[in-house]
Amino acid sequence: MAPTSTPEGGTDVDARYYDGRTSGATAVRLSFRHCGRVTLTGAAQSADYKLEDLDISTRIGDTPRLIGLPDGGKCEVSDNDTIDRLLKKQAANRGSWLHTLESHYLFVMFAIVVTIAASTMTFRYGLPWLAERSAHALPQSVDRSLGKGTLDILDRSLFSPTTLEPAIQARLDRRFAEMITTLPAGRDYRLLFRTGNNIGANALALPAGIIVMTDELVAASENDDELVAILAHEIGHLEHRHSIRMAMQSSAVALILAAISGDVVSSSSLLVALPTVLIHSSYSQEFESEADDYAWHYLVDNSIPTGSFASILTRISAEGGDSVVSQYLSSHPGTHERVQRFIQ
Amino acid sequence: METTMNPSPQTLPFKFHGKSGEYFRIWIVNVVLSILTLGIYSAWAKVRNKRYFYSNTELDGSTFEYLANPIAILKGRLLALGVFAVYMVTVWFFPLSELVFVLAFIAGLPWLIVRAMTFNARNSAFRNIRFDFNSNYLDAAKVFIGIPLLVMLTLGLAYPYFAYRYRDFLINNSGFGTTGFDFDAQAKHFYVIYLKAFGALLLLGLLVAVALPALIPEVQSAGQLPNQELPVQGPQLFLMMLPLLVIFPVYMLIGTYIHTATLNTAFNHAYTTGQRFSSNLKVGKMFWIYLSNFVAVLLSLGLLIPWAKIRIARYRLENLALQTADNLDGIIAAEQQRVKATGEELAEVLDVDLGF
Repeated sequence: MAPTSTPEGGTDVDARYYDGRTSGATAVRLSFRHCGRVTLTGAAQSADYKLEDLDISTRIGDTPRLIGLPDGGKCEVSDNDTIDRLLKKQAANRGSWLHTLESHYLFVMFAIVVTIAASTMTFRYGLPWLAERSAHALPQSVDRSLGKGTLDILDRSLFSPTTLEPAIQARLDRRFAEMITTLPAGRDYRLLFRTGNNIGANALALPAGIIVMTDELVAASENDDELVAILAHEIGHLEHRHSIRMAMQSSAVALILAAISGDVVSSSSLLVALPTVLIHSSYSQEFESEADDYAWHYLVDNSIPTGSFASILTRISAEGGDSVVSQYLSSHPGTHERVQRFIQ
Repeated sequence: METTMNPSPQTLPFKFHGKSGEYFRIWIVNVVLSILTLGIYSAWAKVRNKRYFYSNTELDGSTFEYLANPIAILKGRLLALGVFAVYMVTVWFFPLSELVFVLAFIAGLPWLIVRAMTFNARNSAFRNIRFDFNSNYLDAAKVFIGIPLLVMLTLGLAYPYFAYRYRDFLINNSGFGTTGFDFDAQAKHFYVIYLKAFGALLLLGLLVAVALPALIPEVQSAGQLPNQELPVQGPQLFLMMLPLLVIFPVYMLIGTYIHTATLNTAFNHAYTTGQRFSSNLKVGKMFWIYLSNFVAVLLSLGLLIPWAKIRIARYRLENLALQTADNLDGIIAAEQQRVKATGEELAEVLDVDLGF
C-alpha cells in the first residue's frame, strides 16, 4: 500500500470511500497533486476537490484517518505518514501538535513526572490545606452534628460504665476544667470516663467535643500530669478540628480516585478503597503529630514536665512494639518517634 | 485494501488494534494537560480517549468514529458542576431542601439517561453513518423509576427483571442509520444468571463456614486488641486482611460472572434484519484480566491504567462478532440532528453508570 508518485508529481493513496447515504464501502484512490487539488477515482466514480476543502481528522496513534469530502462523503485512509507529509505543506494542519507531544518521549517523561508530582502535592498538601481552610470557616456546631451518635454507638458496642472512684473522677474533672479555661471562650468540651474493655488504656476525642478516657488509662498512669498530657493531646484533636477535616479529606480522596480509575476492573470500589485506606492512615498520622504538638506546647506553657507524655505513652505501648509493616496501616506514628521530643 | 462485496452469510469478527504503549502516551498527555488546565482540557481528553478506542475497533475492514464536540462536553460539565454547586449551597442553608433535590434528581433521571444515550449514539459512526438512539421520558421513567420501585417492593427479587428491561431499553431504542436494533432475550435469561450467582454465593459461603473454625483460635486472640494507641500487630493485621483475602476475590468472581454473562446475553440477543451479534466471553478469562488489572493498577499507582484498559477492550472485542446474512452495505443513513452533551456529562458527575 505504499503511496505511488504520479507522473504529474503528486502522491496517490488507497482509500475506502463511504458516501454517507448507505453503509457501502468502495475502494478508491486519492491523488494529491502539487497544485493543491485532490482527485478521487474509483471503479464507477471520479471527483475533484480542493485540498483546503477536505476535512481531515487529526491523527491519533496509528489509527486510520477519515477525510470528509465537501459532498458529505468520507474516505478512510490507513497511510498516516503520507497524509502527515501532505498536511505539513498545508498551513492548516490543526491538532497535529497533540500527536507530536504524544510521540515525543521527552514530553511523555515530563508528563509522567508532572502527573506524579501534581497528584502527590494534591494529596499531601493541597487537600489537607483546603480541608483546614474550610474547617475553620465552618462553625464548630458542624463537627457536633457529624459526631452526634458516636458516643451512643461506642457505649453500646465497646464501653461499659466507669468503675473509677468518684474522688478520682472529681480530681481529674478539676484538672480538665482548669485546662479548658485557657481555651478561647465557647468551647464546651466535656470529659467522660468509661471502662475501655477491648480498647484498654486509651483516650478518644469525639467530634461532638467529648473526650472519653478509659479506666484502664487512669490505672496505667503514675500521676495526674501524665493524664493531663494525654488530655492535652485529645484537646489538640478537637482544637484542630481533626474529625471534620478527616471527613472532608477522605471523601475528596475517594471522589478523585473514583473519577480516575474508571472501568479498569468490573468493580472499581476496592481499587478506590485500598489506596484510600493508605492515604487515610497517612493523614491520620499527620493529625496525631499535630495533636502531639499541641500537647507539647500546652505542657511547656503550663510548666508540666513534658516527660509525662513520654512516660505514659511508653508504658501503655510496652506490650506491643512497632513493626515495619504495621507502621503503614497504623493511625498513629511509631511511639518511639513520638516520645523523642518529649523526653528532651 | 479491498472492498468486501461478499453476499453470502458470514461471521465478521470485531478486531481491536489498540497498543498499550501507544495508548499510554495518549493517556498521560491527556492527564497532564487536564492537570495543567485545571480540568478544562478534560473534555478534549475524553474525546481523544474515546476516539482512540473507536478508531482502533475494526469491523469488516472499516473502523468506528467518535465525533463528539469537546465544547459540547465542556458545557455539559460546567452545567453539571453548576447544578452540583447550587445543590451544595442550598442544602447547606436549608438542610430540609435535600429531599426536594433528591426527588428532582429522581424525576430528572429518565431525561438524563435518554439524553446521554442519544448523545453517545449520535456521535458514534461507522462507515460515515451515525448510530442513533430514540426514546422518550415516559418509557425511560418506566424502566428507571417504575421498575426500581418494584425491585424495592419485592426486596430485590425483581432485580434480574430490571437488568433485563435495562438492556431491552438500551438495545431496542438504538439504531444504526435507519436500521433499528432489536432484542429477543427474555427476563428468564437474566433470572438464570442471578440464580446461578446466588447459588455460587451460597456454596462459597458454606465453604467459608466450614473452613473458618480452623482459623478461630487465631481470630479469638486477635479479637482482644490490647490498645488502640498501639500500631497494628500480626494477628490483628491478619484479621484486617481476612476480608480482602477471602471475601474480595469471591465478590469479584461473582461480580465478574454476572457482568460477563450479562454482556454475552445482551449481545447474543441483539439483532437487526439480517444481522446478529455473537459474544463469547469466558468468565475465567475475564476474571483473570480483571484481577491482574486490579493488582497491576494498584502496584503501579495507576500508571498501568492504560495497559489495563487496552487489555480488557481487546478481549471483549476479539470475542465479539457480527453474523450477517448479507454484506454490510445496505444500511441507509438517517437524517441527523444534533444533541447537547448535557445528559451524559451530568450523568458522569452524578455517577450514573450508563454503560452496559
